[in-house]
Amino acid sequence: MNEDAPDRLREDLAFCGLIAADVSHELRNVLSVIGEYAGLLDDLIGLAEQGKPADYAKLRKLSANIARQVKRGTETMERFSRFAHAADGQTSGFDLAALVENLAALLQGRVSLAGCRLEAELPAQSLPVRGDPFALQHLVFLSIQWVLDSLEKGESVRVKLLPQGPAAVICVSGPAAGGGADRVRQQVAAAAGGCQGTIETAWANGILSLTITLPIH
Amino acid sequence: MERLRILLVDDEADLVSALAERLALRGFQVQTATSAPAAQQLLREGEFDVLILDVKMPGTGGLKLLAEIKQKRPDLPAILFTGHGSVADAERGMQEGAFDYLVKPVQVDDLVETIYRAAGRKMELER
Repeated sequence: MNEDAPDRLREDLAFCGLIAADVSHELRNVLSVIGEYAGLLDDLIGLAEQGKPADYAKLRKLSANIARQVKRGTETMERFSRFAHAADGQTSGFDLAALVENLAALLQGRVSLAGCRLEAELPAQSLPVRGDPFALQHLVFLSIQWVLDSLEKGESVRVKLLPQGPAAVICVSGPAAGGGADRVRQQVAAAAGGCQGTIETAWANGILSLTITLPIH
Repeated sequence: MERLRILLVDDEADLVSALAERLALRGFQVQTATSAPAAQQLLREGEFDVLILDVKMPGTGGLKLLAEIKQKRPDLPAILFTGHGSVADAERGMQEGAFDYLVKPVQVDDLVETIYRAAGRKMELER
């Protein structure tokens, strides 16, 4: 038995827990907003019952606002569902562009809370790759978190995904005060598990970067 | 009787506008901010009786903003909004001088009751 397996499992669980906490934070905000709009509608209906003329344009706007929040919550749940199903164990092949886009969207709130921005540059076409999609999600998350940890408020972490010949390349980068590349190299190598690719970490000219290269199938 | 002046700070713009209107319908005078710098600006420009503050906000979080405000306005009572996952943060906020905290989604009647208690405490301290 692999002695690292319990640690790896714990790190995978911690990663899932962290994303679940972010999603729950977002859904709580959505529900809070819906609750306030519903409460405001109730207040206005109460006033109308007391004889104040109803402002139908306002009521319609409030109704549209509730629908917009429901759409926001639904999108978050769908993204979380896609994230969770990456752990189903199927390793036949998946679209790397869709996976990175989904993860980047789920991490927007976390990056924003840190006072930073997440800028994702993704290809329009799909990039089919083989391997373990969950391990790859974890790897990209660690890369983003690594860069985020070294950012100042107002700075950006950039995620770029592009086809390069027969391979797909993910580059995560951002300005940084220092190195730490060796520690991250060990962390991401441990998380890489089922990813059939190469990983390079670098710190040069004040820019931290992590590049993952995977063969396209 | 003068209306109580509330400063409501939360990065959720939709929540802020709906809740501000509900509080106004209940007789409060409400100003809103969706970021820490905007809240600081309003505090420089005007007087408030109660501050309502979300714990988790982008950039300068609610707790840091609370600490900054408490340095300049120790008498201004602050009510914190928090989620289940950040109750520990809210309790830390209580140690740093917050009056009370409420877990989102907040019931408006609970909020109104807490506002009156907070304003009552402020008036007691001013006497």
